[in-house]
Amino acid sequence: MSHVVGIDLGTTNSLVAWVRDGEPAVIPDPVSGEVLLPSVVTVDDRGNVYVGREAQRRLLTDAGHTVYSVKRFMGRGAADVSDEASHFPFSLAGDGEGVVRIGLGERAFTPPEISAFILRELKRRAEAYFQERGEFDFEVDRAVITVPAYFNDAQRTATRDAGRIAGIEVLRIINEPTAASLAYGLDRRRVGTIAVYDFGGGTFDISILRVEDGVFQVLATNGDTHLGGDDIDRLLVEQVVSEMGGEPTPEVLQAVRLAAIQAKIDLSSQEQTELRVDLAGQGAAPVYRRVLDRASFERLIAPVVERTLVPCRAALADASLGPGQVDEVVLVGGSTRIPLVRRAVEELFGRRPHTELNPDEVVAIGAAVQANILVTGNRDMLLLDVTPLSLGIETMGGAMEKIILRNSTIPATGTEMFTTFVDNQSSVDIHVLQGERELARDNRSLARFRLRGIPPMPAGLPRLQVRFQIDANGILSVSARELRTGIEQAIEVKPSYGLSEEEVERMLLESFEHAEADVEARLLIEARNEAESVVRATEKSLRNPDLQAARGTELAPGEIEAIESALADLRDALNGNDRAALEAKTRVLNDVTRHLAEVLMNRSVRAALSGRSIDHVE
Amino acid sequence: MPADSRSLVLQSCRHCGAGAPAEAHFCPQCERILSVARHGDYFTFFGLPRKLTIDLGDLERRFRDLSRRFHPDYFYNASPAERLASLERSSYLNDAYRVLRQPIDRVEYLLKLEGLAPAGRQQAGADASRLEPGLLEEVFELNEELDAIHRARAAGAPADEVSRRLEAAARPIEARAAQQEERLAALMARWDELMEEAGPAPRPVAEEGGSSARRQTLEALRTLLDERSYVENLLQLLARERGELHP
Repeated sequence: MSHVVGIDLGTTNSLVAWVRDGEPAVIPDPVSGEVLLPSVVTVDDRGNVYVGREAQRRLLTDAGHTVYSVKRFMGRGAADVSDEASHFPFSLAGDGEGVVRIGLGERAFTPPEISAFILRELKRRAEAYFQERGEFDFEVDRAVITVPAYFNDAQRTATRDAGRIAGIEVLRIINEPTAASLAYGLDRRRVGTIAVYDFGGGTFDISILRVEDGVFQVLATNGDTHLGGDDIDRLLVEQVVSEMGGEPTPEVLQAVRLAAIQAKIDLSSQEQTELRVDLAGQGAAPVYRRVLDRASFERLIAPVVERTLVPCRAALADASLGPGQVDEVVLVGGSTRIPLVRRAVEELFGRRPHTELNPDEVVAIGAAVQANILVTGNRDMLLLDVTPLSLGIETMGGAMEKIILRNSTIPATGTEMFTTFVDNQSSVDIHVLQGERELARDNRSLARFRLRGIPPMPAGLPRLQVRFQIDANGILSVSARELRTGIEQAIEVKPSYGLSEEEVERMLLESFEHAEADVEARLLIEARNEAESVVRATEKSLRNPDLQAARGTELAPGEIEAIESALADLRDALNGNDRAALEAKTRVLNDVTRHLAEVLMNRSVRAALSGRSIDHVE
Repeated sequence: MPADSRSLVLQSCRHCGAGAPAEAHFCPQCERILSVARHGDYFTFFGLPRKLTIDLGDLERRFRDLSRRFHPDYFYNASPAERLASLERSSYLNDAYRVLRQPIDRVEYLLKLEGLAPAGRQQAGADASRLEPGLLEEVFELNEELDAIHRARAAGAPADEVSRRLEAAARPIEARAAQQEERLAALMARWDELMEEAGPAPRPVAEEGGSSARRQTLEALRTLLDERSYVENLLQLLARERGELHP
């Protein structure tokens, strides 16, 4: 039986988890042991795709071909993201209408395609893990994938499309805070009101849940899909760049960003840190350094933290609860490690939040639990989530008429009657929106529908009933019927910011072509890992205190110099992406150091045997 | 459908064709989940009598129990028809729970179910005569007064003076609101009594004469909902002014 997994497709990191004998667990990479996969993707000029650490490394050498935080672009149009396009090193293209495209070298990719690369890497990781466990059928073909609770229909659909492009059947899209509550609910008391404060890399969510008899019922949810740790990083980066002066190259900017992230992380456990920007291949001296203390960091980021409290209050109001009526508060997402964030949450709810579970892993764990419920039909626990945004249609005059209100438990339905304005009119156009604003143009356009095939009748006579169905994924479908004739109407969907069925199919096929390029990419990663380990071993040998004694005795003249030159060659190759060169130079360095390694080994063995220090063994 | 046949409204199982009572969710014969019946109603769906007083704790328990029985999560391995039925039945359950939980939505739903035109000022434009005499004038004056207070505050009038005026305006509004809530509770109780007397499955009210007690009670409820919406508006304005005065 193939496997099902839970996947947290995060802005910064992604990870995969499963349930083993009733116990959920995250799945580490069998080779590196790492659990978090950086959500970074590079496509090099030969079309090879790299995901994770390798791609993150390339941010510093090839920023223009490397995508991070792609989640921010899911289900969005080019016009939506034009403000923030300048913050990213990769190019964002696409006309005002339709889905945004990310240019990487020769090709442009949609956000679901980029996300699919990440999903496929997680799938590969999980399959390697199951294979290593000796399982006969190690295939991973189905998953529950999480999204921010405040994701709209287009963003959810884009996530589901990403799964399909990656060759994964998406059993369910669930909301991250709800998933986290499920993970916490496993061994917690069974009755109460829970607030889940989920502050991730790029998104913020708050969900208020009522838990009783194993039913996790979301009462209200709110959030901001463009508010996260990225925004904190950006504030620090802007400060550093203005202090550095000049116009940084994309690579320098990325070095600054990584240094800022490190400083942010340090300041969660230390009162002060050094923010230090080093550049690859530019000597040992940092190009920028500055001591940063927690108090000034907190002053800088206070407005960002304050912005998270607005949705919290709105969600409480929608749940008709005061902050004091919440029994437990759960923190999710890496940004909740920041002490200021914890204090702000504690102050708002008047109680100390839960942090027992790793905030980076709790969402994937919850997704795995939900995946397990779906395939086993186990009824101990049930998630009842809500739709975060009201769904409506544009009426005459450009207003929005709401049909399904926000915070309605899903699945949910709504119906609306339409008629015709002229005799024998055979079609009606409908514009579907999501959002809370009064005017249609201020809300999110989801799709335009055309009802066709209306039987010829005098104006105003047809009674067209349009039924909107939001399923348990929070995704909309529409059906229509003319009530006088009972004729089911044909509906043509034109998603405003999504991919058509045909596009998803095409991308799925293309992803198989990529599979070949991926093999090449994997070989390069392996070559690089091998080269790095040989470099590390050689550096260690060269630092060995016995080296000086061996020089001129066991070692031939010029032997050390030969080693140093081979080492420099390999380091050079590590800066590039040429696998053949890497492998060749790794071999050379391996060969020239073999004798040195033997010499040092013999010396240490002799020293150990004689129990004396080497200086006396001559 | 003859009026007296309501108790006989059956669903039929699309799988095996067996008939099932209106309140059933699963086929008594083949035990598969039933598609949502065209003629069902929210009360029957929850297994509740068509009464307006509802124990919310009990309603919530029923909601959780029914969710557990036919949520789409538990039909992943079922046939497409059953999956669709589970989606439809869960949607219907959620929609029903949303309506029955709120007393005003519940009353409006009952009006529709019993075949009376809905409450609401749009439709009731010509029926202003039904409203309590003097209500519209009073609402109009209070509206003006709240507007005036709003302007005074914007023009920089002292806070304590604004506050005094606001509280003076609030008293009649809040008295009205309290009175309406009492009347609403009384009418709801009255409806429930009449339903007890009417026995199981009475005819729809729309088919009864204008003098029937049930019809009069529903019409009074409809009028009350209209009156209530005016006062509700005033309460919102009041809350907004208070909010701006004491942020």
